[in-house]
Amino acid sequence: MSIEVKNLIKSFGDKTVINDVSFKVNNGETLAIVGFSGSGKSTVLKLICGLINPDSGEIITSEGDIAMVFQYSALFDSLNIADNIAFALHERRDLRNKYTEDEIKKIVTEKLALVGLKGIEQMYPSELSGGMQKRVSFARAIVTEPNTILYDEPTAGLDPISSTLIEDYIVRLKYETQAASIVVTHQMSTIRRTADRVIMLYDGKIVFEGTPDDMLRQDNDYTKQFVTASLEGPMKMMA
Amino acid sequence: MSNFSKYYKQSATYKIFSGIFETCEDFLDTLGKITENGIEFFRCLLKHQINKKDLIEQCNRFGVTSLPITLSIVGMTSIIVASQVALEMVKQGGGNFVGMLMTILIVREVGVIMSGFALISMIGSSMASELATMRVTEQIDAIKVLKVNPICYLFVPRVLSGFIMMPFVTIIASTVGVLAGAVTAKLSADLSFRAFFDSMWLGIYMKDLWVSILKAFVFGGVIALISCSCGYYATGGAKGVGLATTKAVVWSFVAIVILDMIFAIAFFF
Repeated sequence: MSIEVKNLIKSFGDKTVINDVSFKVNNGETLAIVGFSGSGKSTVLKLICGLINPDSGEIITSEGDIAMVFQYSALFDSLNIADNIAFALHERRDLRNKYTEDEIKKIVTEKLALVGLKGIEQMYPSELSGGMQKRVSFARAIVTEPNTILYDEPTAGLDPISSTLIEDYIVRLKYETQAASIVVTHQMSTIRRTADRVIMLYDGKIVFEGTPDDMLRQDNDYTKQFVTASLEGPMKMMA
Repeated sequence: MSNFSKYYKQSATYKIFSGIFETCEDFLDTLGKITENGIEFFRCLLKHQINKKDLIEQCNRFGVTSLPITLSIVGMTSIIVASQVALEMVKQGGGNFVGMLMTILIVREVGVIMSGFALISMIGSSMASELATMRVTEQIDAIKVLKVNPICYLFVPRVLSGFIMMPFVTIIASTVGVLAGAVTAKLSADLSFRAFFDSMWLGIYMKDLWVSILKAFVFGGVIALISCSCGYYATGGAKGVGLATTKAVVWSFVAIVILDMIFAIAFFF
């Protein structure tokens, strides 16, 4: 087991965003969390990586780092690509003196190669396309060899070909790192190509749990509405 | 009861008091966060978590890039004051005290407080908007997820540069201010440089210089701390960045005026 979430509850003001959510993700497994905008998907990721605290419930993780790939990459725009990737190696207390500068350079080159990039170490994030920024943020996430990787809408805003490339890297990183991965997404192609299991959130609760094939079979009213993008069904969008 | 509650919430009394309550709550919340960040800043300092490269970059930003504006503001303030008082004092037979008056004014107050105002508007606002942008683009969240303490990484070089550089800026600005006063007195009241500089030392003591440097030290750190804190807790998008920057400027202005008053009472009352 790499990560287990038990009876998680989180409210913002009067609104309960996450209501008694539980799931497990094992090493080398990818779980996709899907649902409408505002259904609490990103909140689950923020709770897991400790950016916000739950009101109640438990998050149990194996020893090791949790990395997160942010929706809009969140690269440090004042640092070049090499410094972005090596950020944790330079600034984290436990890693600061662990590697020499030459070793750090080598690690940066290796991680960039893993996401199919080279020769961009001295460039700045603003000089890269959205897809390349996303891949750099993958490289930054895996630099500390995490055992859990969280992806917040990794293919949002990308063209279909770039999305396919990103999906391939999610799968490749899963095999390379054997990390437990959680992918928050709206996109069916991302679910089909990357996920081993899927959970669907609606109104803060899990309304479906199964494989991508189960989801596409549309036995469940919620997944049926989601897959067919229908306005008719149990899920009501807020006006 | 629900009708009463509904109408009560629409009343002017409710709106006035809830407005006052929200303002007080926001004030205390901001003050608490600044204090908390200040404590965390000193904890980081004690742990020697200082990135020297960042510190040098921030010192350059705080003390060097701001210098033209700071010197211009202090110099022009000095010209304004000297042009108003020098001629009158010479007319009243007090020409021999113009240098003393200008020096006391600049060393004790104008040099440090006008430098502070210049640094708030130029450096404080840019620090606040920089951190606010990092907040709304999730860069601060990324720092936290990478298990780096954002206060140590972002606040320490900026606040430390404020503490270090503001005294130097103030010394240079005060010197320029006194020289500008002397030139203005010469041009407006035909007061000789010798008369100006002879009287300069009459009312100024070492204590004034030390208090001025101490004030500059405190103001520099406080400006940077408030600016960073206001930016750090920004919410929303572009509007949030704007609000955080405004808040940083307003809070910094008010804070250094209050601190200046405390210094005046503590050392010269």
